[in-house]
Amino acid sequence: MATPEPLPEPSNPIGIDGLEFVEYATSKPQEFGALLQKMGFAAVARHRSREVMLYRQGAMNLVVNSNDAAGATPVLSAMALRVRDAAFAHKHSLDLGAWDMPTRASAMELNIPGIHGVGESLIYFVDRYKDFSIYDVDFVFLNETNRNPPPLSGLHWFGVVQAIHNDRTADWRDFYENLFGFTELPRGQYFGVLPKGTLLESPCRKFYLQLIEPPPGSEEIHWEEGLVRVGLGAPDIPDATRALKERGIVFIDRGSVQPSDKGALTQVYLGGVTFELVVSHL
Amino acid sequence: MDTITQAGTLEAKLASIRAAAFTQVMLNATDIVGHPGGEAAAVAAVRSSGLRVTGFQVLRDFEGLSGHLHAYKVDIAKSMLKMCRALGSRVLLACSSSSAHASGEPEALKRDLQKLAMLALPLGIRVAYEALSWGRHVNLLTQAWEIVQDADRSNLGLCVDSYHAIANGGEIGAAKEIDPRKVFLVQLSDFLWQETRSPQDRMETARHYRVFPGEGVHSEQVVELVRILDGNGYRGDYSFEVFNDDYRQIPLATVAERARRSVKWITGRIGRRTLPASGYRATSNSRR
Repeated sequence: MATPEPLPEPSNPIGIDGLEFVEYATSKPQEFGALLQKMGFAAVARHRSREVMLYRQGAMNLVVNSNDAAGATPVLSAMALRVRDAAFAHKHSLDLGAWDMPTRASAMELNIPGIHGVGESLIYFVDRYKDFSIYDVDFVFLNETNRNPPPLSGLHWFGVVQAIHNDRTADWRDFYENLFGFTELPRGQYFGVLPKGTLLESPCRKFYLQLIEPPPGSEEIHWEEGLVRVGLGAPDIPDATRALKERGIVFIDRGSVQPSDKGALTQVYLGGVTFELVVSHL
Repeated sequence: MDTITQAGTLEAKLASIRAAAFTQVMLNATDIVGHPGGEAAAVAAVRSSGLRVTGFQVLRDFEGLSGHLHAYKVDIAKSMLKMCRALGSRVLLACSSSSAHASGEPEALKRDLQKLAMLALPLGIRVAYEALSWGRHVNLLTQAWEIVQDADRSNLGLCVDSYHAIANGGEIGAAKEIDPRKVFLVQLSDFLWQETRSPQDRMETARHYRVFPGEGVHSEQVVELVRILDGNGYRGDYSFEVFNDDYRQIPLATVAERARRSVKWITGRIGRRTLPASGYRATSNSRR
């Protein structure tokens, strides 16, 4: 048997090229849809056979999955990575010790491969995102709707915030670094209004993951590992917060997280959803 | 204490361990799957025992396999990791392979242990790799430490078992070189023979003739090992890994009492505040 040469992996082993979509699960899709619309997203398509809606804003795709959703509070249940070759990305991850996702857990009819991520969440791999998209097959676009609604104030994906248990930063850094080639940004290099945790940069440099351990002295807080929030990038935060406020979004305006030029954090909606704005020119 | 030391039902073991004022228990997979009420009943018994689970054992012969054997072992590992999580254990013990089918190629061993660590990672489990003294390719603490360093994964560390370290020629001093942060578990036991000459001899002794520290003929070395680890800054858990056929045919309370005596014997010899003085509980490393 030939022994493979121990060459280093490429820095972007599965060819990550950004976030294709994030998925939320909720049993109250209409309430959440109303919130998303206030956030500048528009419903553009409905899944052919399941209770799944596609929302868009600029380059951001957001899937709301109510198929077998457990609770009313929307939960960030998956992120889909754009990759060079989804089948390769899947196999590569399994070979390195990732857990395959449960069969038929996918939001889509198409066979989108995926693995288990943090908590109950999944990580999908999508390679059809250029001329032909996964939505063309699985979704029916709504009549008289702009399929490509423009972004409010240049909003775009900045990243995803992940809650982790104490002393787990090194573990999760290993996970994203070894499976996908994420790199940790030097300490002190923060974005937005929540200067904490550890920032990992995607190998394509198009988005970030932020790992957050429970704050000190929070033994009483119920803290589970999972994806907790998306970060939306905007080139001009005051402009973006003004636009969102006009649509009825409320930002936390007290304490250390009040809106600034660097970022802003919305109030908690629907029992557990927040959105973070981060100044970004990505 | 470790459930492998006593006979009886899981509930009886847990009760006797608790009654002897121990606060932790090391669990063996057969105690869980062999429970007459099924795995869920075993998990419930452990969870309601009030004992913290030190670790879960044991994944055997994982590394160095290829093809369908590797795929088979990955499946076994997944099942054990799921049980480990259900029990609230943060540590899975994986011992070095004794399989004749396993490669000893360092790259392959490293790659497989990295994979095991990755499998354990989302579940919040740390893998403690142990050099079995009759391991086919890895049978010394120093070899295991080398692979763990090479693999360089945050949730992959070592299990230091005094028996294996001593039985293979007293390489106790090697523990000085080990980063205490990468020691995820220390298992202590002594044994009754002066020497164990062959791998077969070491295996027989390990599985039938271990005793608690203070009861055998190598206890000074066990104490020395604890001194080294403690001096190095190890503040994690200690567990008695005592396989002994005789102990499995005397009352559970008597065995637990012998274990208690052993705790007193060791702490008396070490005389360090950092060592768990009562209940044999580690002063730190109780992460969650």
